[in-house]
Amino acid sequence: MKRGLLFLALLSTFAGHAYADKLDDIKKAGVLRVAVFDSNPPFGFVDAANKQQGLDVDYAQAIAKKLGVKLELRSTNPANRIPLLVSNKVDLVAANFTITDERAKQLDFSTPYFATGQQFIAKKGLLKQPADIGKLRIGADKGTTQEVTLREKYPTAKVIAYDDTPLALAALRNGNVQAITQDDAKLVALLAKVPDKDKYELAPFHLTREYQGIGVAKGETRLLKEVNATLTELEKSGQAKTIYDRWFGPTTPAPLPRTFKIGDKA
Amino acid sequence: MNAQLILDNLPTLLWGAYPNGPLGGLALTLLLASLAGLGSALLGVAGGVALTMWQGWPKRLLAALVGFLRAIPVLMLIFWAYFLLPILFGVDIPEIATVVAALALIGGAYLAHGAAAGLAAVGRGQWQAGLSLGLSRWQTLRLIALPQALRMMLPSFVNQWVALIKDTSLAYIVGVSELTYVATQLNNRTLVYPTEVFLFVGLMYFLLCSSLQLAAAHWSRRLRVA
Repeated sequence: MKRGLLFLALLSTFAGHAYADKLDDIKKAGVLRVAVFDSNPPFGFVDAANKQQGLDVDYAQAIAKKLGVKLELRSTNPANRIPLLVSNKVDLVAANFTITDERAKQLDFSTPYFATGQQFIAKKGLLKQPADIGKLRIGADKGTTQEVTLREKYPTAKVIAYDDTPLALAALRNGNVQAITQDDAKLVALLAKVPDKDKYELAPFHLTREYQGIGVAKGETRLLKEVNATLTELEKSGQAKTIYDRWFGPTTPAPLPRTFKIGDKA
Repeated sequence: MNAQLILDNLPTLLWGAYPNGPLGGLALTLLLASLAGLGSALLGVAGGVALTMWQGWPKRLLAALVGFLRAIPVLMLIFWAYFLLPILFGVDIPEIATVVAALALIGGAYLAHGAAAGLAAVGRGQWQAGLSLGLSRWQTLRLIALPQALRMMLPSFVNQWVALIKDTSLAYIVGVSELTYVATQLNNRTLVYPTEVFLFVGLMYFLLCSSLQLAAAHWSRRLRVA
């Protein structure tokens, strides 16, 4: 699959010029197509009433409003969010998309609108410092930056890749792995829901600091500028904080202090 | 066990967001499987007949195509058709059509060989009998060989259809909200009930596939009596 993605990206560099300016296309169609997660609360998920919800959905909504067009949501997962963008099935990707140099070769990222750190949930007492990582069996979500970081920095750790976080958590609770890794934002919410949570704890350190941006097809500079302008405006008007508080604020089940503002130095 | 969770989300698992949104869940799985099953049966019989009746390079070309389709994973075909065709040719195929076409093509390729084998198994004597009665090759095929062959082929068709029902879950790669896909959404929203969610999903596939097998067994008994 990885080689396939690279091939797609290569093709897109040839095909990219064939499209007219995307910002014009969006305004002409009156629809902004955004890929968001449907299985990754609280960034993007489907609620009990079958409606897509989450922090990324709120941002997508705000951008569509700024452009004065209707929002059309498209479900995505880590395996197909780059192909969706490259094959022009969507205009933007707002899916807890960590900005990396590798990915920036295939698409452009907006200014960061969220920051996370790589964190761990481990069986109590097993993971006290980064040096412990190399001795453990650790579950990660397939295709995420956390999996890559772990394999590169801690080659002695046994990394098992799972399809999604609930499966990794099930593996932890069944004893297949001793720890699991994900964004701090996600793990805090996750641990709050675990029935036997007294057996587990968050590791007392972060491995990385990662920034999430909105993915835009390569070379669409006008659209990218518009997205960046919207994000800056949302911060200024206080709306970015409102969105954050809706999902991570003090009244949510898993509160997390806001340590990053749009426009902060990444 | 949290059976309440499944009960609460039963409508979503069974028919997705319908009628307030697009059809999904088990109903979409059924729809995908029926369309692809029908397509694969038509393609399979046509392919098997062509493999039997054609000669020379058209036959070799078809055999090569069938061989190619059997040799690639369904997931790859769906993935490439969906993401590559827009880039290469600017063709934009909707995701449900992509999945149905991919499953029908690959299922059809498997069935083509089964159908050709079934036609061969009818035996040369039957063909010769038809020809000596003054029927043409195509008449012999239609009136004598095919009706007998189809009866023999039924078990291998059912085999293929059962595999096809389960392969509809591969539609997740292009975001089609069939049963496995909506179950994954539910699993990720609730986070801690994977056992309940996937036991239910397994049960649904089991019921679907075993009803097909029962129906086929019933049908083949009736064919034999007739």
